[in-house]
Amino acid sequence: MDDWAVAAEGLVKRFGERRVVDGIDLHVPRGAIYGVLGPNGAGKTTTLRMVLGIIEPDEGHRTLFGAGHPRDAGDRVGYLPEERGLYPSMKAKDAIAFLGALRGLPWHVGRQRGTAMLHDAGLGHAADEKIRKLSKGMAQLVQLLGSIVHQPDLLVLDEPFSGLDPVNQEKLEALILAERDRGATILFSTHVMAHAERLCDRLAIIAGGRRRFEGTVDDARATLPSRVHYTPRRADPAIAALLPADAVPAGEGWRFVLPTEGIEPSLGRLIAAGHGIAGLVIERPSLHEAFVRIVGEAAASGAVPVEQAA
Amino acid sequence: MNRPRRFVRQMLTIARRDFIATVATPVFLLFLFAPALMLALSTLGGIGAASMDAGDAQRTRVIAITSPAVSTTMAHENERLRPLFRPDDRPAPLEIVAPAGDVAVQARAMLARRDVDVHGVLYGDLARPTLLLAPRSRYTGNYLEALAQATLTAERLGAPVTVTATRIQARAPRSSLGGRHQSGFVAVFGIFFLTLFLAGQVVGSMAEERNNKVIEVLAAAVPLEAAFGGKLLGLFGVALLFVGFWGTVVGQVASFLPAGAAAAMGALAPAVGGPAFALLFAAYFSMAYLLLGSAFLAIGAQAQTPREIQMLSLPITLVQVAMFALASAAARRPGSTLATVAELFPLSSPFAMAGRAANAPELWPHVLALAWQGMWVALFVIVGARMFRRGVLQSGSARPFWRRRVDKAAGGSSASI
Repeated sequence: MDDWAVAAEGLVKRFGERRVVDGIDLHVPRGAIYGVLGPNGAGKTTTLRMVLGIIEPDEGHRTLFGAGHPRDAGDRVGYLPEERGLYPSMKAKDAIAFLGALRGLPWHVGRQRGTAMLHDAGLGHAADEKIRKLSKGMAQLVQLLGSIVHQPDLLVLDEPFSGLDPVNQEKLEALILAERDRGATILFSTHVMAHAERLCDRLAIIAGGRRRFEGTVDDARATLPSRVHYTPRRADPAIAALLPADAVPAGEGWRFVLPTEGIEPSLGRLIAAGHGIAGLVIERPSLHEAFVRIVGEAAASGAVPVEQAA
Repeated sequence: MNRPRRFVRQMLTIARRDFIATVATPVFLLFLFAPALMLALSTLGGIGAASMDAGDAQRTRVIAITSPAVSTTMAHENERLRPLFRPDDRPAPLEIVAPAGDVAVQARAMLARRDVDVHGVLYGDLARPTLLLAPRSRYTGNYLEALAQATLTAERLGAPVTVTATRIQARAPRSSLGGRHQSGFVAVFGIFFLTLFLAGQVVGSMAEERNNKVIEVLAAAVPLEAAFGGKLLGLFGVALLFVGFWGTVVGQVASFLPAGAAAAMGALAPAVGGPAFALLFAAYFSMAYLLLGSAFLAIGAQAQTPREIQMLSLPITLVQVAMFALASAAARRPGSTLATVAELFPLSSPFAMAGRAANAPELWPHVLALAWQGMWVALFVIVGARMFRRGVLQSGSARPFWRRRVDKAAGGSSASI
């Protein structure tokens, strides 16, 4: 009936006078890996908390798998909060089983799966250790396993990569992909573009409490034109006249934005004038650049914050 | 799984975690055996005090300076009179001394003896004796006077007269007014004592989740009402374990007690009858615990720091003492306005109703009272959870469940169009 794992419309959250989240829409298709990107304090965590029903939105509404209140679908959801927390005196496998039990998984199944999952992750020896004896990264992994032990249909991860070393970041990416292959929908927030670029089927960029962009990674990169770096055979000031108006010298060559009509007319003129082509690079903008541009524009427009810019 | 069943499941999950986390620690053993420790210490103190008393008795005397002719009679009368007093209140051992020289001088010398404490000296004619008393000895004079009178009477009668009585011990009437009031007070005090011991634990229990950030996961997975209810239930389980353990121990010890103690217990005669009273006592203890516990949980959850929780413990104890005072006053005056107020006010209701069970035989008010108290427990849990969501999780507006249901109905109809 409903193809969205998460559907949220017009979510608003006020903390005092400040509109921390100011009318955000979020539609996560089933089976997708969906990224919520934004700078610090953009309202990512607050949005996720509203989607999960930890807090209620002041305006707007959201459904999880079509359920009117998110907690009615709670047993199908796994959640790794930004502020990680486990009971320090619990054993690792019990902590995993407890997180599963909260979502309706029988304790003994949770313990078995927890032990097996720790074993697969190379932490089999830690299953009977108490959480307080584990390193921070290990505790984080235990909590992550706890959020997927009941095999949720929706996995919500808030800044899952923060605090992990590169090796463990790689492992986490593999785990997210494995969960997607199992059939789960994954919704995660981050401000590290590299992960989003590699993982996301779709993404939303949030800044200043509003959604500034929604689409695929390629869509996001396409919001910026490609850049051209051209190197002639010989340096010659006359070249400038043949290039687009925004061309600036850079080392031996020139840099300019790829013109809308394409690179060919410029190249034709250059070859005809005998400047030749010693080097030509057309660079697509990275997600990082797109993000900085989108967030930067948001910050510039944020000078008049309360105005409805629809 | 429908909502109520899921709610119960979530509550039990949290209760189970809390129960195990509380019980499976070494500190819990200390808590469990605290009463034994207290008992051992007070017993040691008692033994010490008793042996000191015994030592004192060896070194105290009352002295009678009288002719050897009456000394046998006086010693006999002393033996007869002493059992009239409770062991702790008995006069010092009597020493009979023959007169030598000036008896007034002799008496003063006796009082000044260094080897023993002399509480009083009797000398002179037995009909008109002089009593020389040590400072601060208040009852020795009365005893020596009575002893002189008894000795003189026995001497005048010539042959000793012995009275031997036949004693018949009557059984206590079924339900004396005194027995009812006494059992009312015992009930109120028992519940107060247990909750004072146990319910205070609940205050800080929400702080654990706040400090280690688990609250975020809990709040995402279960309704806060279930989290609160579960915590309350878990600690109530700890309280039941405690009460069950000591109940069993005391029950076993009671079967070894001498008959006198059992008779004293038999004097407790609750109006509703023994078994019903035991059941009601258990029910009202549970309610008292849950009521005070839920109120404390709600208040404690608002505290920002451990220091604030410590600061809260005094007002909380005072509230409990106030409820106890109100309910025990009500137990002494059943049927009064005060009693009705105490029975209706939610926090004192379990105490007062336990007192009422001792005083009045009707059972139906207890059904009403338990339902009434149960409603308040639910109310405290719901309000506590709502306050927590609003204040601590920083959510401006938790929509009440009836509006949620309306929204859901509206959403459902629009989807079908």
